[in-house]
Amino acid sequence: MSSFNVETKEVNNIVVITTDGYLNNFGGEQIAAVCTQKMSEGKNKFLLNMGNTKVVNSIGVSILIEIIEKLQQVDGKLGYCNLAPIVDKTFKIMGISKYSSIFENEEAGINTL
Amino acid sequence: MSNELRLKQLELETLLEITNTLLEFENVKELLQEILDKACSILDASCGFILTEEKTSELFVPRVTFNINDEILNTIIFNAKRGFLGKLSHINDEKGYVEMDPMTLNKLDKEFSIVAPLKDKKKVIGAIILLDKELRTGISAFTNNDSSMLAAIAAQASVAYSNTNLLDTLIESRRFNTSVMESIHTGVITTNLFGEVDLINQAALGILKTYREDVVGNHYEIVFEKNRQLIDLLQRVESDSILLKESNHPLRVNEDDITVNVSISPLVDEEKGAIGLVIALEDISHLDKIKSTFKKYVSKQIVDQILENEDNLNLGGQELEVTTLFSDIRGFTSMSEKMSAKDVVDSLNEYFDKMIEVVFKHNGTLDKIIGDALMVIYGAPIGSNNDAERALLTAIEMQQKLEELNLLRKTRGQSPLEIGIGLNTGKVISGNIGSKVQMNYTVIGDAVNLSSRLCSFANAGQIIVSESVYNALKNKSNFAFREMTPIKVKGKEKPVAVFEVPYFKNDLFSSVEEKYYQIEQFLISNFPSHLVYHSIEHVKDVVEKCEQLGANEKLSEHKMHLLKTAAWLHDIGYIWDDKSHEERGCQFAKEFLPGWGFSKEEIETICGMIMATKIPQSPNNLLEQIICDADLDYLGRDDYFVISDRLFKELKNSRELSPTDWKKLQLEFFDKHRYFTESAQSMRSKGKQINAEKIANKN
Repeated sequence: MSSFNVETKEVNNIVVITTDGYLNNFGGEQIAAVCTQKMSEGKNKFLLNMGNTKVVNSIGVSILIEIIEKLQQVDGKLGYCNLAPIVDKTFKIMGISKYSSIFENEEAGINTL
Repeated sequence: MSNELRLKQLELETLLEITNTLLEFENVKELLQEILDKACSILDASCGFILTEEKTSELFVPRVTFNINDEILNTIIFNAKRGFLGKLSHINDEKGYVEMDPMTLNKLDKEFSIVAPLKDKKKVIGAIILLDKELRTGISAFTNNDSSMLAAIAAQASVAYSNTNLLDTLIESRRFNTSVMESIHTGVITTNLFGEVDLINQAALGILKTYREDVVGNHYEIVFEKNRQLIDLLQRVESDSILLKESNHPLRVNEDDITVNVSISPLVDEEKGAIGLVIALEDISHLDKIKSTFKKYVSKQIVDQILENEDNLNLGGQELEVTTLFSDIRGFTSMSEKMSAKDVVDSLNEYFDKMIEVVFKHNGTLDKIIGDALMVIYGAPIGSNNDAERALLTAIEMQQKLEELNLLRKTRGQSPLEIGIGLNTGKVISGNIGSKVQMNYTVIGDAVNLSSRLCSFANAGQIIVSESVYNALKNKSNFAFREMTPIKVKGKEKPVAVFEVPYFKNDLFSSVEEKYYQIEQFLISNFPSHLVYHSIEHVKDVVEKCEQLGANEKLSEHKMHLLKTAAWLHDIGYIWDDKSHEERGCQFAKEFLPGWGFSKEEIETICGMIMATKIPQSPNNLLEQIICDADLDYLGRDDYFVISDRLFKELKNSRELSPTDWKKLQLEFFDKHRYFTESAQSMRSKGKQINAEKIANKN
């Protein structure tokens, strides 16, 4: 594991970002860049499919909080799906699950967001 | 809750989770990866790796990595005794971590590091290395709090690592044991205290032709339900706690019978005593197959010798001295033209059965059956010092057995079979000869060819041997040889010396007169020519007088038969031995008269008569008296001087004997001699007296 990759697609006007790798400063920045770009295009609903991200650090989480703050300004929403248990637990302890939604899978996230 | 507090909670939760979950891992690598991931996550490291010691060197090697360039990492040498790793064993509670040296950091393109040791007791067995603490604004050095956290994680990780390592060692050890069990050819089965099968290896599954799931967990009485004998053995070991071994144990497997060597021992626990059984099975059915295959070619005795010590076996190409026997049926081709195919095959099979039985009786190696011919080797693959003797005994017995077979054939209206046999001893090349597809053990060479030529030369019923066989056996008292005119054989420039071996045919069924005729012919063929007195004429004279005296003494037909047989044989020993001919005659009688249907007691009676004729005569019963009187009947007859003249000549052949000495010898003999039977006394006493006077008066 030595890199972080994102893939982006749009389903039902929802931007689905699939991540792969350590969600740290570097990974968080890449997600933020995608979100900023899409928000500038008028998108305000984002779903992070984190099935291939098994480890996050606090910097990665803080970047996600920054993204949530930006989305709140445009009445947008951020959701996560396919979280590894440890990531799920970290999100809950760090409090971000209060401001964003966690879904079991991508389909559930798309249907709900 | 402030962010700091959340982070602190996360740290504590993570530490607790590490403590709780580390023991769940059964695999060291998975465990270390989990530790590293969590350490990086909780301490915001951009990347990290864990080094563990290489058991075969002083180097540490990256075992797991996180978010780092593995290619570069793998080029770095981590010496356990030098650099930052060397410092790890000296760290204390005040500063529970060290940092990597700048050169290594540079190679990894990193700026900051934190290193904590993994320890087993006090020995450093590995290290957790985290690199570049991340901040939202960039990277920074790790803090003291981080070092405490990492030290705590490392301490927990060390315990888990040691335990998991131990578990790995146990798993490896178990795998090793399983691998050993699976790789051995001996079938091994273990049972528990309740007699249920705990473990069965692949070899045992193969032997029992079963599946693991059908055996494991079942009681041995179910597994071996068709093998009561084995169950009895298992129960004995269970009750007596003894080790039992049994060779050639029959085992019923499905519908097949196999043979195994079994070893059963109690499985013993130091504290609890016997806690089960260990059953070892060695399938030796293949040995049975080898035996049965070999038995087609050699006798059981040879097979056992070969299997007992394979060193005895000379299967490679090598020069050996062997005696080769060839036999074939005379005129079988023309005979078979008049027979149906089935009769030809049946006749040959019956014939070969009888002959091969004789071959194996004398431990010959059946080399080939070629049509109606047999080739047998003595001396390969296992040699002995009596190869030629066994070969000749085989030849004689083959001829005798054939007589028996012919009588049977006669009752079925079939023509008799007659064989000629040739024997030669000589150096041959032995070995497995043939193509890759078919290879047979055989011998080749001139010596084999000569034996085959002698066989072709032999007439029906004849045994012809070469000079080498004659030389090997001429001093053996149980064979007679008659030198024949040397014969010219293909491949030899000079004619080769050949000898016929006269033998006494087994004859259980022909008439008494026919049997006497056989003896007469045998004596005519074999009496040495220098014996002018002890000749066939003398024997026939004694037989005639025995008949006469026996009639006078009113002998039964049976006793007369014994008497006449003894008379025919009383001088047969001269063929082999002048000096102890009576003893040799008895030996001959004991060897051959059973083949004529005489019982042991009858043969003893006959031998008693033969021995009684030894000078001075010493008869113990009427029959012995009769033969003694018949043997010297001529002492009182008119033809005494004709016969005694032959004796004089014969004696002179072996010693100096003047006419005066001869006269003296005769008179002394006449003086000591007396007739034992009344009829001989009445018939010959007067004549003997007259003859004695004539000798005395002779100048």
